[in-house]
Amino acid sequence: MRLLRTAALTAAVAMTAAACSGSSDNGDSGAGAGKYQMSSDTPAGKGPVADATWALFAEPQSLDYLYAYDFPPNTVLANVCEQLLRITPDFSIQPGLAAKFENPDPLTWVYTLREGVKFHDGTTMTADDAVASLQRHLDPANASAWVGAFKDVASVTKTGPMQLTVKLTKPNVLFNQQLAASPGTVESAAYLAKAGKDYGNPTGKVNCTGPYTLDSWSTGDSINLKKFDGYWDKNLTPAVDKLKLVFIQDPSARVNALLSGEVDGGYMLPATSYDKLAASGSGKLYFGGNSGTYNAHVANLGGALGDVRVRRALSLAVDRKGVVDAALNGYGVPAKAPAPAEAWGIAPTTGKAAHDALPPMTRDIDAAKKLVQEAGAAGKKIVVATISVSPEISIGANALRQAGKDIGLDVELKAIAPDAYTALFTDPSARAGIDLLITSGYNMTPDPLEYYGTLQSGQFPNYGDWKNEEYDKLVEQANAAQDPITRAALTVKLQEIAVRELPAIPLFDTPYTVFLGKRISGATPVLSVMLSYPWAAQLGSAS
Amino acid sequence: MTAAPASRVPSAAPAAKVAAPPRRGTAWMRGLAAQGPLFTAAVATLVLLALCAVFAPFVAPHDPETIDLGNSLAGSDADHWLGTDQSGRDVLSRLIHGARTGLLGPLLVVAVSTVLGTALGLVAAWRGGWVDSLLSRTMDALFAFPAMLLAILCVAVFEAGLTAPVIAMTVAYTPYVGRYVRSVAVQEKARPYIESYRVQGWSAWSVTTRHLLPNITPNIVAQSTVSFGYALMELAGLSFLGFGVQPPTADWGTMVNEGQGAILKDAFMPALAPCAAIVVAVVAFGIVGEGISDRIAKRER
Repeated sequence: MRLLRTAALTAAVAMTAAACSGSSDNGDSGAGAGKYQMSSDTPAGKGPVADATWALFAEPQSLDYLYAYDFPPNTVLANVCEQLLRITPDFSIQPGLAAKFENPDPLTWVYTLREGVKFHDGTTMTADDAVASLQRHLDPANASAWVGAFKDVASVTKTGPMQLTVKLTKPNVLFNQQLAASPGTVESAAYLAKAGKDYGNPTGKVNCTGPYTLDSWSTGDSINLKKFDGYWDKNLTPAVDKLKLVFIQDPSARVNALLSGEVDGGYMLPATSYDKLAASGSGKLYFGGNSGTYNAHVANLGGALGDVRVRRALSLAVDRKGVVDAALNGYGVPAKAPAPAEAWGIAPTTGKAAHDALPPMTRDIDAAKKLVQEAGAAGKKIVVATISVSPEISIGANALRQAGKDIGLDVELKAIAPDAYTALFTDPSARAGIDLLITSGYNMTPDPLEYYGTLQSGQFPNYGDWKNEEYDKLVEQANAAQDPITRAALTVKLQEIAVRELPAIPLFDTPYTVFLGKRISGATPVLSVMLSYPWAAQLGSAS
Repeated sequence: MTAAPASRVPSAAPAAKVAAPPRRGTAWMRGLAAQGPLFTAAVATLVLLALCAVFAPFVAPHDPETIDLGNSLAGSDADHWLGTDQSGRDVLSRLIHGARTGLLGPLLVVAVSTVLGTALGLVAAWRGGWVDSLLSRTMDALFAFPAMLLAILCVAVFEAGLTAPVIAMTVAYTPYVGRYVRSVAVQEKARPYIESYRVQGWSAWSVTTRHLLPNITPNIVAQSTVSFGYALMELAGLSFLGFGVQPPTADWGTMVNEGQGAILKDAFMPALAPCAAIVVAVVAFGIVGEGISDRIAKRER
């Protein structure tokens, strides 16, 4: 799971979470009903294009896959670097740079690499490259952002010229799945050694196997990608020769650039712009599946929120529909669980059914007041972090404040400077004095265990250090369950506990978006595609 | 009995023998009043803003922090003259309450920096020599730090809010005031009446506080008035960037920030109203400052 990060980012972002659809059977919803239609794809590109321009809401801090823990770097790297496995547009996991992967016993994963794959410098990929790439995550000196994916890894070794074997200390199904995202990236070992500390920065760049090469990185302006003629997957041969990804942080400027045709497309548009983009005639706005939900994560159980009755009270009092209407312009639905129905890729029928069967989180001020009284929490202070540049967070925080006011809690907002918001998720000291954080945790893989596993005690994103023995045991059991249906059944139980105990208070689900101008088409409006699939290789001329 | 040093005992007697400097009293104030309708309008605007700030809880039609998500971005009507923002809060009420932080911050910056800067400028002007050089170079060094950057640094070290930016801006504004006061004080010091007082045994403290300072006070007031506008704009800028006054407190800079998103929905008032308030206030302070400066210039001629 990764987190909606900073302010600058969230400001620009607008919508990233959720698995909602245009309509919902959730009785408390209806905010987004009929307002938008979900698309699994956009019309395929019809022909070659010499060059195209794409809007990024922020400049990547690094293109080193170790630190690709945010939307901008992953949006770029999805086209430049590849992983051992691949998450497909239909949210399934398929072989990627590994032609096959096996699990001879619960503690062993064997990956056999695809033959004839070339790096951008023309050298051929071997097991040495894959081993070197994965081992970088294991070196504490590298401080990989993805170290959590490797927490149960005992060793990564070369077991053949084109084969590597990963030994685990205990069964961990998620490890294998996460090799379809940044943790599974393969870079040339020789290039890693040559670039050293410059690897991934504008000087050192990267040298991977994707359909696009990183041609140039103009700091503060753009990243230019160029079609890689030696790309191995002929099904994803780019139709766009040159793709310029321009950094446009200001939401209004980004929207105007799309409307004017200055840029040809962009993911993750501000919710406030949806109506304008949809009606513009300058292109088309598509809504797609999102694997995350916006939640108010409990960051401190030492205060009033240590009592589950207070968490429930706040959950009962918050006006989710109001937030959807005001912050998302109606493009979303109130959440029912901390992970959306769309996150259930491994068991789309039973998992989604279990999610949909959850009762709606209806507003009940009287019941909430009663809970606060029972908990003896009247007048107690709860501090909610907020950032003014992100409407979905600032309005969500305002709604929590109003909810507290309505039920006798003293909810105080603490505004965080835009650039400091990221630190709340990476630095525990930055969370000092904060009880609730609004963020979107989303799944990179089709398995909602990825999200629910982060609420296990001791996990890095379990900000409030919430502990529940039953929950912890279930996470271990699920991680050891090879059968997806069995794992999904266990994860459903995790979902039930999470909804009951509320270590994260679900707020709202909202669709994922992509806008395509009149020149190009083919981008898939799905979050996991933008982050891990060579989406730009699907682009082509619109006519 | 030993007489106290003459320099420490200012007496009325010698003062009476000195040719008094031009007095700036009621005539000068009357001159100000005669600056014209623009000046009068600017003064009236500032008075109105000050009244809004002081009496905001009584004047504002709604609680500025109460949200109404079901009434997000409502247009102007009888209940909400300027409509509502994205959280459904009354824009007019937030504008009125925003005058409080909008004026309090600059007031603190200007008041403290004027006191400190005036003291430093007077000491530098009066003592001259190495004291002047030391103080002047110190002030020059402080000029190297732009007010905004200093404020952002302060916020990074402490935390966002009104206090850190006000302290930082005060530090940044003090050398401006100091340099200006030194400049006018040096000119004033060269006037014959100052030398007359000194010859007659007045102490430096007495001459400075009883004659020099009162005579340059209009200049300082003019400078402070202009500075007030600048400080208001910079503090609003910091709030806009998220470093100043924090939500949900109503503040013009924060309101502009929060209102940005609504522009994409063709709702301009949440951002436009506080922008207009900032512009009006800054322009009014500028006009008043200019008016006072003009009056001083006429007096000098």
